[in-house]
Amino acid sequence: MSLRALWIISNEKGQKASIQFSKRFSTVEHRARNLAGSSYVAVPEDSDFLQLLLTELGLSNSNKSYVADRDDCLYRPRSPAVELRLNGKGTLWPVLVLSQGPLILACLPLVDILSEPRPPLANLLSVSQGITLLTGLQTFLLGSGVKLDSEGLASRVATLPSLLLQVCPLGTPLDTPLAGTPTASTVPTATVTQKQPAWKTGVYRGRATVNVAVVETVRSMQYGNQSRQDLWDVYGTVTCKCEVEGSLPNVTVTLSLPPNGSPLQDILVHPCVTSLDSSILTASSVDNADGSAFSGPYKFPFSPPLEPFRLCSYTSQVPVPPILGSYQLKEEENNLRVSVSLKLHESVRNSFEYCEAHLPFFNRNQMGVVDVKVSSGQVDVSKEKNLLVWGLGQKFPKSREVTLDGKISFTGSSNGPSDPLCTGLTAYIKLYLKVPDTTLSGCCVDQHSVQVYSSAKPRIVTSRELQSKEYFIWNSTGSAPVSSGQVMM
Amino acid sequence: MASNWTERISAFCCSPSGFLSGTNPDAFLAELLRELRDDRASYGVKVLLLSPLCEYPTLLCSSESVGEETALDLMSVFTQCPPRFSQFRCHLLVALTSVLVCSSCVSNRSRASLDFIDLLLQICQDTSDLDGDGTQRCPRATACDCLCEIEASCPGLLSQRLELLAGLRQQETSWLHQAYAGLQILVLRNAVYQLTKQTGAGAAHLKALLDGNTSVAWEADQEAFHMVTKDSAIQSSLILGPMGRVLTLHTGPDCKELRSVLSSLLEESYLLTPLCQAALFHRLTEVVAMVPGIPPTTFRAQLLRLLGTNEVCLLHVTLLMKCAFTDSLFSAEDEAFLLKRLVVLSQHPLLSTPEKLFYMDCILHFPENRPINCGDSDEALPVLLTPQLASALLPTVFNDSATLLARLHLQALVFLEEGEEGGRGLAYIYDHLTALLHIVDRGGSRDIVVTFFRAAFLFLFYFQHVEGYSARLSEQLCQLYLQHTQLAPHILNLVDKTLERLPECNWALGLLQGLQRAISTAPLGQLTLRDLSCHLKVLARVAEEGKISQCSTLGFLSAVITQSSSLLCTSGDWRLGNGLLGVCRRVLLHPSLDSLLIPLADILQHLTCYYGDTDIQDHARLYYTLLTTLSREKLSVVLAQSAAEGGGQVKKRTLSCVMAESEGLTNILTVHQTEQPVFQLTEALSGLQQEMENLQLSQDEGDKALESYRAQFSESGFASQIMLKYHLTHTEPHDPRFEQIFSICLHFSLTDDHYEQLQDISVPCLFRQRPLPVVQLTLKPRRPYPTTIHVSAIFTSKDGLTWHTTMPDVHVEFQQAFLPLPVPLSWSRASRQDVFEGLWDEFCSEMGDSIISLFCCQLREAALKALVEKHFLPFLVSNLSQEDELRVLLFLPPRSHVLLKISSEEDATQFNMATDTRQLLPHMNSYLLTVTSSQDESVR
Repeated sequence: MSLRALWIISNEKGQKASIQFSKRFSTVEHRARNLAGSSYVAVPEDSDFLQLLLTELGLSNSNKSYVADRDDCLYRPRSPAVELRLNGKGTLWPVLVLSQGPLILACLPLVDILSEPRPPLANLLSVSQGITLLTGLQTFLLGSGVKLDSEGLASRVATLPSLLLQVCPLGTPLDTPLAGTPTASTVPTATVTQKQPAWKTGVYRGRATVNVAVVETVRSMQYGNQSRQDLWDVYGTVTCKCEVEGSLPNVTVTLSLPPNGSPLQDILVHPCVTSLDSSILTASSVDNADGSAFSGPYKFPFSPPLEPFRLCSYTSQVPVPPILGSYQLKEEENNLRVSVSLKLHESVRNSFEYCEAHLPFFNRNQMGVVDVKVSSGQVDVSKEKNLLVWGLGQKFPKSREVTLDGKISFTGSSNGPSDPLCTGLTAYIKLYLKVPDTTLSGCCVDQHSVQVYSSAKPRIVTSRELQSKEYFIWNSTGSAPVSSGQVMM
Repeated sequence: MASNWTERISAFCCSPSGFLSGTNPDAFLAELLRELRDDRASYGVKVLLLSPLCEYPTLLCSSESVGEETALDLMSVFTQCPPRFSQFRCHLLVALTSVLVCSSCVSNRSRASLDFIDLLLQICQDTSDLDGDGTQRCPRATACDCLCEIEASCPGLLSQRLELLAGLRQQETSWLHQAYAGLQILVLRNAVYQLTKQTGAGAAHLKALLDGNTSVAWEADQEAFHMVTKDSAIQSSLILGPMGRVLTLHTGPDCKELRSVLSSLLEESYLLTPLCQAALFHRLTEVVAMVPGIPPTTFRAQLLRLLGTNEVCLLHVTLLMKCAFTDSLFSAEDEAFLLKRLVVLSQHPLLSTPEKLFYMDCILHFPENRPINCGDSDEALPVLLTPQLASALLPTVFNDSATLLARLHLQALVFLEEGEEGGRGLAYIYDHLTALLHIVDRGGSRDIVVTFFRAAFLFLFYFQHVEGYSARLSEQLCQLYLQHTQLAPHILNLVDKTLERLPECNWALGLLQGLQRAISTAPLGQLTLRDLSCHLKVLARVAEEGKISQCSTLGFLSAVITQSSSLLCTSGDWRLGNGLLGVCRRVLLHPSLDSLLIPLADILQHLTCYYGDTDIQDHARLYYTLLTTLSREKLSVVLAQSAAEGGGQVKKRTLSCVMAESEGLTNILTVHQTEQPVFQLTEALSGLQQEMENLQLSQDEGDKALESYRAQFSESGFASQIMLKYHLTHTEPHDPRFEQIFSICLHFSLTDDHYEQLQDISVPCLFRQRPLPVVQLTLKPRRPYPTTIHVSAIFTSKDGLTWHTTMPDVHVEFQQAFLPLPVPLSWSRASRQDVFEGLWDEFCSEMGDSIISLFCCQLREAALKALVEKHFLPFLVSNLSQEDELRVLLFLPPRSHVLLKISSEEDATQFNMATDTRQLLPHMNSYLLTVTSSQDESVR
């Protein structure tokens, strides 16, 4: 349940990959040697490790199209745990790798099961612990996940030695770095009778406030084709920020659905939830939907940590997508005839924070003449001349339907971007939308249903929001890729 | 100085072996410890200084005794460090743990390690700061972590302290209870394990252990203790699943004490961080598995909380619990729920890819309550995973490559199990493969190309017998190849691997035939030279298959060289010509050669006459002659001989490389790598001593001795070199191929920047029975430190092959840089002594880098004399016989001096040192330590 070593590698485009930080846990290594006996494989030095890892991840020699060591078809990288074949000195396994943006994080968990051949990953607790630690470090190093500045990264890397002293001093991961810093003032616990949770570094002093936000995300693939079923799904997260006094205060948040709402599925909860009713967990998206399923209210009693956290997440099968679209392209002599219509479903609140439809064009020249008319909103051509942006503003018209028609000629002087998927008439519209104060599943948190067991009356704020992600409407006159095998079957 | 340390430590951590080759581990360790004791150094730097000790203690403390001494030093630093530097104190505790555990001090229970454990226990119990500002918190937590690590490395060491630890955990209300809980459960687990190993141990022993009333002293059960710790099984996980057997402790149903400890730990588990909770549950599972008196249902109350968790490690430990307890804790419903949960998690939009892939791996190793296949760790599908359930994990083109391949693999297993070969599932998979192929066809990235071929291999591996699909795949690959000939290496790799893994399957041969057909029937008009080069590679591979007819191949070759002759033959591209010949040569070996005689002869003749490269013409002519004059049997013998790795005869090799342009030629053109070093450099005795005897004592420089000595350095390059002589010798074991070696070129590469780059050295030959050649290395120091030089060589063996070999490193010791005072031979002893005096006085002022030092040891007079004669005679300035104080002047190029005044006092021999380069002192110290101790032994 320990790690032998840890590496943080930066691999920015156009620059040589380099190790920003590495740490070996010598006492764990000592145990690894004892446990493995004659089959012990030592951890190579940093430069060798880096080279082997890059080859394994297919990142080395990127200019060569085929390298036998890297591209052999027999070999299937078993991410997240890869093996590094050291030259004649055995195989280092399992190296856990997490990469995001310019950062690659890797660690080598201790294998504490003696078996030949190697034990399955699923039997080593150190693997999931390693994933947890690496994920925590990744969040800490990349911050909110927006583009990373190298200075920010360097300063965070510099704090790693003292951070690791807290979360993983001798190779056994104890905690993950704190994701968000508690905003409210806290004091270290004075003498208390109740035990303080280890995931809470102090106690809050001040007026009790509980903030609960439900954010739903809708994804969709619409083909506008009789033979292809349109797809959409919704998943939601409930995020809390609780400022409540006491070392182990009790809070209960209740999610409720409208009378005919379909049950929340695949519910996952934060570890601070103290108990769960088994009926809450029964509904699952991979099951045949059962009409008699439990449909709330969903009670989550918990004791909040100081920082904001995700109390739970769920998925839901809603009967309709919020916006139903159709997209048709026709190749004419020198033009592409475009025709789009979008229809907002009547059950969705007609008040957007924003709503934009993006029409990208690949594997063509830049756009020349763009002659399109819209029934609502306005159309802009992107600076690179390969994308139409149709801004729909805050509201659909009363009819709840908008259209775009017109012709585009691709007579620009230079080539636009290429994409191996979107060739010929294979094209899509991507919708970006955000609707405040609504959810598609109807799931909501009533202010009065939030219970806080403390003397003072707490201030309670709740909010809801719907947003889109991967919301595609494919051109119905071209072929479109399959996005879900389940529906096809 | 601080920034210097930052650089040095980072250099060390980047490449410890490289760093230590330039210095002496003992010297580096001594420097680290001195700086740690230095009050002037900041604590920020001191934390940095500890990192080599934390990460590489075995490199710095090579033996238990060094570890012991280092630990004592560090402990004294700890006691002197004010409590307010708690971060540093924590790092220090970690470093101490690392040193003591890794140098085996803990497992041998050395004095220092026992003291350290006492210190840690003391820190753990120091709750005096309960109302303070919390500075003590961190060392307390760290002390627990250190104890945990010590117990993990040396299981059972703390088993007598169980009661103490339990008490500490119960009293603690701050978050520190987590550290105590982790320590307590680990010690408990190890203690129970030890009891299971003792015959006759039972409930009473367990109770005694938990109550801490074992009056058995710490040392008394040393033997039993050693027996257990030597067995590494105690360190490995005890969760073995239904097929594994865990040793159990028979307590009967009555083990109240253990039950209460466990339930109190379980009750508070919620208060731990997810990572510590997972570890705690894992240990608890092990304990319960070892004590049948405790029912697994103890965990029941925690289960619902764990089943709904979004933390990967908590769900994982739940699966491990299931693995250990199966249906005694998990009902059939639980099992179905868990599996569904894993499927959901394997594709959950909010989880990261590594987490999803891990969950998918968990499905393939799902711990079933009643497993059908047992024992092997190979992947198998759980019975409950129906195709319907698994359909949530069908691959799509939107997946990243790792996910795509993992899903494809899982589905392949599902469909294989179902035996539905004509079913929709397989149709979907095939459509998916086709979709990938289209992406590759439209210019997908390298990553997609590689992924496609891996997916194709997976598909073939499981479904090559479903002919409809495999035939279509073969067709589509041929079309793809014609569009993208640069995919040739990928396709050939797929062919080779399919043949290797599925030897009885004909698919690969079918594909090769298809490729041959596609190449030979494609219109020649559009053929580019790049395509042609790929085609030739493919056709060469096709020609290796005896079962495939080569007619169309020859038809293609003939068409290429005649029709487009203007392009190909006149261009005379050597590579393409070689490609053509490569195909021809394989056809020469083909079993159906008889029927191919005429077209092949035509092609070879055409090449002989019209190809625009003489070398290719010559080869073609040779092949033509062989084909037309030799019988088939002889031909195959000649060619087969050339293809096989013949040894020895030079003639044969030359012939063979003419025959087989590929193997033979590349063999002679490439530089081969030896597996072992073939020869090495061994130190030859230097001629310094003889030179010294020629010393003429005549010229007297008077008062100006020092001045004129200094004046010499104005001449550039004066006394800046060290000559080291080595013999070049064969290494053992003896390899007959390298009995006689010629044209050896030695290449030297430095591992640091203390010396100027060395020139290559040529040695004409090396024969085993002849006198050893002498190699003289001329080193030009920038700083006269010890160093390691990597040596490699290129040479020719007797059979005409060129070899590259890595030789053992040459280590330049500190004393090898010693030179006598560089003055003309004619100088008198008195002048030399004047220089000595002058320099001594100067160095004693300790200006700049000058420093004086004292080294003492116990040597009898005879021993001292022997030592000086053996090591310092060439450098002696005073007279060996006359004076009671001996003076030695060591000159180290380019301009460093170490002066020694050696005298025998009553109880010790003193080496008074003065030098102008203070960085030399640690090296000098360790050198003196070595020579005096060895002298000591030899005299005794």
